[in-house]
Parts: sequence; structure tokens; C-alpha cells
Amino acid sequence: MVSFALEEEQRLIQETVRKFAAEELRPHLRDLERAGTLPPALRQRFHELGLGLVDAPEALGGLGAGLVTAAIVHEELAFGDPGAAVALFAPHLAGQALLALGDEAQQQTWLGLFADTAGHQRLGALAYCELDGPVEGFATTARSDGEHWILDGNKSYVVNGATADVLVVFAQLDGISGRPGAAAFVVGRGTAGVTAGARHQLLGLETVEACSLVFTGCRIPNSQRLVGGSDFEAATQRLFARLSLIHAARQVGLARASYEAALAYTQERTAFGKPVAHFQAIAFTLADMHMDVEAARWLTWQAATRLDHGETLLCHEAAAHANEAAWRVADHGVQLLGGAGYVKDHPVEKWLRDTKALALFGPPSEHHALQIASAELGHAVGAALPSASLQPFFT
Amino acid sequence: MIDFELSKQQAKVKELAHQFAKYAIRPISLQADRDHRIPDDFMQRLNDMRSMMTMGEVPAEYGGEGGGVGEIKDKKGSSQRNRVALVGAEELAWGDISVIMSLPGPGLGGPPVQFTGTPEQQERFFSVFKKPGLHWGAYGLTEPSAGSDVAHIRTSCRKDRNEWVLNGTKCYITNGGRADWVVIFATVDPALGRAGHRAFVVEKGTPGFSVGKIEDKMGIRASETAELVLEDCRVPADNLLGGEAAYAEGKKGGFMSAMKTFDSSRPMVAVLGLGIARAAYEAARDYVRDHFVLGRAIPRYALLAEKLADMKRSIDAARLMCWRAAWMADEGVPNAKEASMSKAYAAKVAMAVCRDAVQILGAPGLEQNQLVEKWYRDIKVFDIFEGTGQIQRIVISKRILRDQPTF
Repeated sequence: MVSFALEEEQRLIQETVRKFAAEELRPHLRDLERAGTLPPALRQRFHELGLGLVDAPEALGGLGAGLVTAAIVHEELAFGDPGAAVALFAPHLAGQALLALGDEAQQQTWLGLFADTAGHQRLGALAYCELDGPVEGFATTARSDGEHWILDGNKSYVVNGATADVLVVFAQLDGISGRPGAAAFVVGRGTAGVTAGARHQLLGLETVEACSLVFTGCRIPNSQRLVGGSDFEAATQRLFARLSLIHAARQVGLARASYEAALAYTQERTAFGKPVAHFQAIAFTLADMHMDVEAARWLTWQAATRLDHGETLLCHEAAAHANEAAWRVADHGVQLLGGAGYVKDHPVEKWLRDTKALALFGPPSEHHALQIASAELGHAVGAALPSASLQPFFT
Repeated sequence: MIDFELSKQQAKVKELAHQFAKYAIRPISLQADRDHRIPDDFMQRLNDMRSMMTMGEVPAEYGGEGGGVGEIKDKKGSSQRNRVALVGAEELAWGDISVIMSLPGPGLGGPPVQFTGTPEQQERFFSVFKKPGLHWGAYGLTEPSAGSDVAHIRTSCRKDRNEWVLNGTKCYITNGGRADWVVIFATVDPALGRAGHRAFVVEKGTPGFSVGKIEDKMGIRASETAELVLEDCRVPADNLLGGEAAYAEGKKGGFMSAMKTFDSSRPMVAVLGLGIARAAYEAARDYVRDHFVLGRAIPRYALLAEKLADMKRSIDAARLMCWRAAWMADEGVPNAKEASMSKAYAAKVAMAVCRDAVQILGAPGLEQNQLVEKWYRDIKVFDIFEGTGQIQRIVISKRILRDQPTF
């Protein structure tokens, strides 16, 4: 039965995060940008809301809420500040990888680190992309010596790579080429044989720390391989679907921020004797922005309900759609403010930078398009992950 | 609860409508377009499909099918008729848009009769549809010099004892030529603006009421679009919708009646456009699937694949805009902004999809024996009728701005 009505609990969570974003993130947006990192106290306050594991089962210390609720949380955080939204979410993609690929014991061990009272001091990361990888599978190798796996290779564009307490790494099982040989492992903080490269300086999302990683003889116990249940490839698809969903929700939040800023500004500023919003060229653009935000949000929510039932296609649609909509809205945001939008007195210029950065956090739209087309045409157009993407992306 | 899955009844409506669209409507689509008409015997079959896509224009208490399956209430007791109607309508439009627009029944004339009409009027005008044969209602608002600017209609009405005398011309009226009755909007005094509007039901055969030109159009050719002429047309006072009381000072009964129709009809029209867009998308997708092989140069193939993906996701997003507006209507929540957004957004998406479908087929897409050529012509009207894309943006922007702009 088609319904857009939020449950009471969802509404309360939405209100809580919206308030947090309005009070703790938005007023400090430029400070956070300059600092390039989040103050520990801010991390702690977010941790106290108990939303870091919103979509993890209660048994694992999560909230046990569905993915629509998760989408709401990510939209609201990104509405406050997209960079902080990524950086604040401490488990980052390690959490999603553990949920999609880990067994119960692994989830207890590693997700537990984020659930306990010191959870805000911990960070997760996912090392996925490679610049020297083969068409399918990975160049980073995982060799077994019986009791351990030994990882060797280079990983690029890893968010929280240098500081992660829980790092999930994709690598190729020694001797098995292509997708059947793809595997994932958890590497704990302080494990020998992991070297972080210099921090990337980014176009936007300045509070997000990312770097490349080099693995040289990195030994981890057998128990830290994530097998993804009976079907690793399908589990990996689910991981990227979850990631795409979060991503889409963040783009929606960013777009809404830009839309609301432009809506407020254009009603304040007057020209030719009336608010500029009262000229159709401006008003119609505002209407288009509003439509873009809403359409992207509903598609994201529908994708969330589908993924709750294991269906991944709409997550690709939502991510590609939100990327396009958010960029368009963010661009209009700057445009409607004119020169004021281009200078740093207003946040809209940051959001136009942030939206492009977000679009490359996770598989790019081109990848999503090929996944959609493959499903629709009934045969593979381009390779499914894990495989080389046309463009490298941050994870 | 946030939910985007169809209920069992909705799924059943969708399935039945799709089967009918696929096996009955599609086969006559091209010919109907060429002939500029739908065969009579087919109309009778359509009549039997009414309950499938009704928006409840004929309430059950007046002998109609009510909201059809849509009258089944959801758990909270809300009607789901707008949502059900949307689900069925998308499928039928996927079959052919002119066919669903020619569907016997009150059409757009239904909502004003239902929302503004007295019980006696509802009984009288809806009972027409109980009679054997094919019957239509229609909605006469647009005039040669008043389209989007509804408040400036010039068709006049003047009370003369127990009758009203109407003078003016209405244009672009769907099913206007064959309708048993048409809801005609007129003004007692143009200077009064919206407050001067009155809505009448003008019955076929009323002296002074005649059908003018039947339009020849770019698309939706099998749908009848008529000009209606009122020359000293005398309408019984009983045909003033809602009676005099509905137009007491400050009530703007006529104008509100005209506008209220749109709250339900705009999402409906929007989803009809998406039905066409989906048809065009599927044709393009199948063409790519059947005419290209994996061995073909991937870069070229990927370009088409990306276009297909963009079409698919845009249709899916636009559909949710329609569903949201319909859900609000079912919940009894004011939805004028959302109704306009669904229409504006869906029309834009549907136009782009039909354009891209022709492009993906290439030269064959231009040929008149290909439905994509027809859909490219049909879809343009969705950016125009039921409020142009521009007027939708005026409605939307007036509702998001704090103070009323003077555009």
C-alpha cells in the first residue's frame, strides 16, 4: 500500500538529527572546513545520539531501524554539512562492509567497537579502489600461510585510511584470477605492514580525511576474512547498494540545503524594487530545485524499502539520480545568489564543491548506469563490481 | 509507514489494466491515430473497463462504480482511490493515450459536479452514465483568450428569471463534441475576477449550445478536442452547480471548483504521461537489446546503455512525485503544490524520454509505422494541457515563497 507517512519513531529521529545538524554542524561549517577535521567533542555528542549504527541490528548495538530511517539520518546530517556528515559517521563503510559481508562473530567483534561508550574515538574505513588493478578483481593479493592471510599491494582513495581502527580491505586470493578470487578482510588498528600515504587535499568535503595505503606483508588471522555468506559477489553487490543509498541520501540533504539557502536569500535581496524571488526567472528556478530535491528523496526512500528486501537495482537508480539532481540544485544555488554565491560569506559555493566530491565517494554515476542497463537489458553491459571502474573513486 | 509496494488490489488493477492495454489497446493504437478516432465497438469494451481507472467521478450512491476498487479503505480508513487510479492509468496510457482520454464517463467534468454539485445535481448528472450506450462528460474552462489565466475567462452568464443565459466560446475541450453534458465556467462580471465565476452543467442539445471546430493536432489525434460555442444559450437555474449558495460573497465557488479539479487530475495526467514515457523507454530498451550484441564496440553500446539508465531512473523518480500527490489527496491533505510538481516534473521527464527513444532507434524512430514516432508527438501535449509547465511553476513558486509575488 503506497504511503509516504513516516512512523512516529522515524519522525522523532528526523527531528533529533535535524536539530543536531542545525545547532552543531551548520553554524560551524566554515570552522570545520578550515580545521579539516572534527573536534572530538562533536564526535562524542553525535555518538551520544546513538545513531552511528542506525541500520545495524540491535543485537550488535545498533538501532535496528530500516534503511529508510538510515536515509533520513544521512539526509539530515548532510543538510547540516556534507563533509561533517561523512566524517561524523564513525564506522563509515567498514560498518556497511561488516553488515553485508561479515558473519555474526565478526560483526560482534568489530561493530562492537563502535557501539560501546568509547565508540566516538574509533573510525572505520574501506580500502577498495586500485589504480593498477586488473579489469576484474584486484592487484592486491591475499596469500595464505595456513593460519594467516598475508596482504600485499596498493589501495587508493581510502577515507579514514590513516586513522581507522577497523579497516576492511578487498584483495585477490592468491592463484585465483578474476571475480571468483575477490575477497575481503578486516585489518585492526596497529597491524604491522600497513603504511598510509599523504592525506589528499580535496575539492570539497574538507573535513574528510583520505589517503592511499600500502600493504607489505600485512599478516592477519584467518578469522578476519569476510566471506559474505554463501555468495561473496552477491554480498558485495549488497554492500555497494547500501553505500549507494547512503550516498544518495547525502546528496538529497546537500541539495535541500542549497535550495533552502537560495529560497531564503532570493526573498531577502531586492532588485528593481522587489525581492528577486518575485521575478519568474528566479521563482521558476526555485520551483525546479524543489522538485529535484523531492524526486530524488522519494526515489532514495523507495530504494531503501527495496533494499530492506534485498533488491539492489533501485539503489543504483537513486544514487545516479541524486548525483545529477544535487549537482543541478547546487549549481542553481550558487547562480541564484550570483556573486554572493561565489564568495565564502555564504555556504552555497561549498556545496557546489561538496556535491562533486560526494559524487566520487562511491561508484560514479557511470557505474550505476551500467548496472541499471545490465539489469534492464538482461545481460551484462560493463562489468559488475568487484571490477575496475572507469574512474577511480573514494570509499 | 513508508511503503512503495502496491497493495494486492492495486497490483491486481495494474495487472488487469496492463493485460488490457497490451492485448486490446496497443493493437488499435496506430490505426486510431491515423483515423483520428477510436472504433465504436472498441468504445463499448472501454466502457466495461471503467472501474479500472475511475477516480470515483461517479459516486457509488448515485449508481456509479464509486471509486471502484479504490473505495476499499486502507488500515487508517483513508480512501485509496487516487492511488489506485494512478496505477491503472499508467498501464492504460502505456497502451495508448487517446484511448484512455476517450474513456466513456464524466471525465474531468466529474470532480466539479462531485465537489460542488448538490445531491440532486449529482443524482441527475451522474445518472446519465447508468443508461445503456456510451456517455461522456466534459470540462469547459479554456477559452481562446484565457488559458492559464483562468481568472480572466470571458464567457458570460446572466440570470433571467429561472434561467441563465450564457455567451462565449470554449476551446480545446476533450470529448467536448460527444459529451452528454459539459461543465462550463462563466462569469457574471469580468471585473469581479474569481468571485464572479459560476459553474454550470450545460447539456447536449440545449438551444444555443453548439460544437464548433474539431481540432487537428500534432498528437493525441484519436482523442476528440472540440471548440464549444454558446450563443444566448439558456440553461435552467437548476444547472448552476451547487446552487446560488455556493457563490455567496467571498466563496469563489466557481473558481475553487475549477481549481479543486486539478488537485486530483494533475497527478493523474502526470502519470498518464509517464505511461507513454515508459512505453517509449521499453521500446528503446528492447530495440537496443535486440539490435546490438555484446561483441559490438563497447563504447558505443555504453553510451546507449547510459541513456537507457537515465530514462529508467527518471521515470521511476517522477512516478513517486505522482504517487505522493495522489497519496496526499487520498489522505485529504491539501496538495495543490505537490499536484503541480508531479505534473511539471513528469512532463519534463516524459518529454526527454520520448525524445531519447527516437534518438536511440535512429532513423527507424522517425517512421510512422513505429509507435515511438507517435509517442514523440503525443507526449508534447503533457507539457501543455491541464496547466502548462510554466503555469505549474507559477503555482509551485507561489507556494514556496513567503509573500505572494506579483508576476
